[in-house]
Amino acid sequence: MSILELRHVEKIYGERENQVNALKDISLQVEEGEFAAIVGTSGSGKSTLLNLIGGLDNPTKGEIFVKNREIGSLSRKELTIFRRRNIGFVFQNYSLMPVLNVYDNVALPVTFDRGKHINREYIEELLRELGIWEKRGKYPNELSGGQQQRVAIARALVNKPHMLLCDEPTGNLDSATTIEVMGLLKASSRKYKQTILMVTHNEAIAQTCDRVIRIEDGRIVTGKRRFPAKGGDDAC
Amino acid sequence: MRYYKSQTAAIFAGILLTASLLAGISSLIYSSQKSDLLNSKTIYGDWHYCAETDKEQFQKTQSGEKGEGYHLKRCGKMEIRDVAEEEFLIYFISTDETYRRMAHRDLLEGTYPRREDEIAADGFVLSNLGFSGNLGDSVHIGARDYTVTGVLKSEWAASAGEMEVFVSDSFAGRISQTFLYLGFDEDEKLYRQLDAFLREHRISSDAVEGNDEVTKYLAGEEPGSIYDIVKFGLTDEEGNFTYIVLKLQSDYNLAYNGMLVLLCLFSIFAVYSVFNISVAKRTSEYGILQTLGISGKQIGITLLLELWMLFIVGYPLGCLLGNGFLSLVYRSFGGVFGGKGAGVTGNGLSAADQTLAEGTNTLQFYLAWDAMIFGFVFLLAALAAVAFLVVRSLGKQTLKEVMGGDTSFTAKRKIYALHHVNMAGVVVRKFMFANKRKVIGILLSLALGGSIFLCTVYMVENLKVHAELSLKSDDGLGSEYRISLKSNSLKDTIPQAAGDKIKNMPETKNVYPTKFTLGEVTRIESLEEWDSFFDYQNADHYFVRRYGGICLRQEDGTYRIKYDVYGYEDGLIEQLNEFILEGDIDPAALKEGNKIIAVANMDGQGNYYFYGKKSGDMISLRVPKMDGYADELLKFQSGEENYIEKEFEIAAIVSRPLAREQGFLQEGFYKDSVMPGLIMTNEQMEENFGITDYSFINASPAEDAEAGKVSGQILQIIRDVPKAVLVDYSAAIRTQKNYLRQQQIFFSGIAIILLVISLFHIVNSMNHTILARRREYGIIRAMGITDIGFYKMILQTGILYGLLADAVIYYIYNLILRRAMDYYMAHILQFLHVQTGVPNRVLFGIMILNMVIAVAAVMFPARKLVRENIVSEITR
Repeated sequence: MSILELRHVEKIYGERENQVNALKDISLQVEEGEFAAIVGTSGSGKSTLLNLIGGLDNPTKGEIFVKNREIGSLSRKELTIFRRRNIGFVFQNYSLMPVLNVYDNVALPVTFDRGKHINREYIEELLRELGIWEKRGKYPNELSGGQQQRVAIARALVNKPHMLLCDEPTGNLDSATTIEVMGLLKASSRKYKQTILMVTHNEAIAQTCDRVIRIEDGRIVTGKRRFPAKGGDDAC
Repeated sequence: MRYYKSQTAAIFAGILLTASLLAGISSLIYSSQKSDLLNSKTIYGDWHYCAETDKEQFQKTQSGEKGEGYHLKRCGKMEIRDVAEEEFLIYFISTDETYRRMAHRDLLEGTYPRREDEIAADGFVLSNLGFSGNLGDSVHIGARDYTVTGVLKSEWAASAGEMEVFVSDSFAGRISQTFLYLGFDEDEKLYRQLDAFLREHRISSDAVEGNDEVTKYLAGEEPGSIYDIVKFGLTDEEGNFTYIVLKLQSDYNLAYNGMLVLLCLFSIFAVYSVFNISVAKRTSEYGILQTLGISGKQIGITLLLELWMLFIVGYPLGCLLGNGFLSLVYRSFGGVFGGKGAGVTGNGLSAADQTLAEGTNTLQFYLAWDAMIFGFVFLLAALAAVAFLVVRSLGKQTLKEVMGGDTSFTAKRKIYALHHVNMAGVVVRKFMFANKRKVIGILLSLALGGSIFLCTVYMVENLKVHAELSLKSDDGLGSEYRISLKSNSLKDTIPQAAGDKIKNMPETKNVYPTKFTLGEVTRIESLEEWDSFFDYQNADHYFVRRYGGICLRQEDGTYRIKYDVYGYEDGLIEQLNEFILEGDIDPAALKEGNKIIAVANMDGQGNYYFYGKKSGDMISLRVPKMDGYADELLKFQSGEENYIEKEFEIAAIVSRPLAREQGFLQEGFYKDSVMPGLIMTNEQMEENFGITDYSFINASPAEDAEAGKVSGQILQIIRDVPKAVLVDYSAAIRTQKNYLRQQQIFFSGIAIILLVISLFHIVNSMNHTILARRREYGIIRAMGITDIGFYKMILQTGILYGLLADAVIYYIYNLILRRAMDYYMAHILQFLHVQTGVPNRVLFGIMILNMVIAVAAVMFPARKLVRENIVSEITR
């Protein structure tokens, strides 16, 4: 069953002579539970695509359906709530709140839903699984890059989203940590039946995913390529 | 600078606003002082010193004379040619044009006398001499008749103590006393020029009298060294903190220079607080620079250059802005800053002239260049100190810590999400208090403007009360008309019948005839620290000759002290309630218990004292009997049969008398001082001492009465009373009230400008505080906070800042500033009865305004953030 569908999506930045066609006529379907990598060279439009899917940015043309809802038809408030409940983000630069410790960083998105109580057992489970339970009182600047990315993943998972959007989650990490983080994402995908879209420019990492979507100059250039999901620590 | 546009703009705005504040307020105070100087010149004469010289020197000295160390720009000449002492003491004076200009004795109508039997005089003198009002008619002075050729402008001095008639050069009198009125170059120190002038012409300094009210603005006396002033204040028995402040005020214009220093401190505070936020944002970049091998010193220089570049552009622009804005305000207020005389014009002479000095009405806005230059140098140096402090704080952290940015908040390890808590609120508080020192700095700078505003309002409120009380008591301007006697003998009185007639005139109201006698308070056991005060009085030749001294120690160790004793009308006694220091005032109770009201002594620092006595204590009072009275009795050394001695209970002690004598204890050096006295009702004066007639009468015209008619009628009534004169203070009262109104508006103006600029500063700081966290807010938005939720979160920040700033204002104002103001007003400005607080509506108004501004100041950038793309925000 398709969880995500893009129909003829275009994104244009700037005006007149400064216009940049970041995405051109993108149509795409992603199945539930799929772990897809979006690859392309720098400036090819892969992060733009991810931001449009996540509702962080609006397409100039076309429609984006997430869980069969066209997100362009939602009001700002509806879109924010929809995003909060259904989509988790992991950014390359982690984007953690520097003034909050690990635990509070992870719990923060839950508290935006009024009346929703913080499931502390779940947070503990997440942090333990990600191996950062012992670091729960630490602040981001006291953690290594890998640890910060784990916190970011935990925060992305805390609302149990249907879809996880990761923008170069291993871009700042060394190879050993990259393997760990990829393993965690895959394990999470399996455990919570989540769909993961991951932007990367690392071909080797992309090859470990279920599917690779290639973007060049704002267009998808190849079709589906299926690889068996290897998962675990032996990825790459 | 370019990359961190918002930070740079915030620092620039901070510099611009504080420079405009500093320059504007300094220029305003400077202009006001210049205006005060002009008005003092109008009132007291446009001259600096008066020297009595011999005839040769008198004729030799000319305007424009230059000598070693002095430039005598103007020299007015006045010669007393004769004195008539029949009914009034009248001086016949011959003057030159320069003197008349300096003394503001301009001709209002007619001409100056040319012949020996011609005179010109002001309306006050002429009306009391019985002049018809038609030029060319004659008046009788001494043994001769003189033709009046002209009417001159009156002297300002409300007492109009001496009568002067102007005669021509051909007037040959019996005496010749010559005076030079000296006006030196005001761009140089006056006291140095005077010394040089006296040295060159071998004139004794004893022969010189200064025009203190004018020269105090122009370095008329050599200032003491600050070290000596402070040392004396701290180490000498008679010295104290108040002495230091008063001396610094008189010698070094503390009000102006102190304000300048305060403004500089405020400026540096404001710039520092904005700069601190900006630097915190960039700390990690400085860390990266350090890893690249740049030294702390080079970072300091980079910082300093950045600050100085902004400062060099921002400061002059700020000065331009502040001065430009205030000069517009200055002009639009018109008469407000014009000072005492502004806005008052002569409205023709009534039968008894108006005591009047016309204002100059020239409103000029002066630029306080010295303040602007001082501010420039001070802030330039202070910014260097700021850069040094920042680099030093960077140096205290490890390179890793510096690269990690501001990490001071990591000390607290509490996990908030373990409990039921509003995490958005936690984030707000964490953002605010991540660095407590910084937040305290911001809050203090936010609160400073409001606090200064409250202080100014507090001062204005008390100034209002003080001004009203002072007008009634110190200036003697409680009533428009004063009928008094040009005499210093108790023999001369205004008959009760004359007083009653004036009382019964339908054109008058609030007629307060006052009885007076000179008394001696006996059996005072201790003078405490006031012995030196009385030593001065006892050394006064006039007092020794006339009263045998003021305070005399008796064989039994007690003291006898001369006192003015007044009998007031009930209405006037009730007005004393406003001056009460302790006890109760009720005319009926005074009469019933034969009690008395004592006016306390006040020292130069605003402390009141009445020999340790309280209300309810007894004092003994002796007064001379009027049967067989002779002035010799005023020495209180004649036989006991010549005096009446009685004991009185003190009903109350007050700070000031209202109607006051002129010519007894209020004489010579003490003419304008507030001398202590004892007050009872007129009935008590009669019952206790047999005094039935009055010594002076204060009256006001009824609402619809025509001024000229009223004074004419009063003059008619007192025509047969020997030595009685009428002085009309209407114009002086109007002028003084106008001046006081101007003072209030002036202070309020400063307060409002301060408030407006500090509000701008709040908006700037708050706006910057929010924008400095835009990446973090972007992350929160990406995490799924709704726009409403985001606004609520930012609103919390604004409310929190507003509340905290309000709390800081409240505590700073009540615990520190108000107490300092109380001290300043009571002891330095010597306000009467510092009691009036800031009205609650103003206090709450400021707090609400602060809150509204803080909320508005955060909501604007919040709106801006919401419109921004989340992705671009978090990738900053």
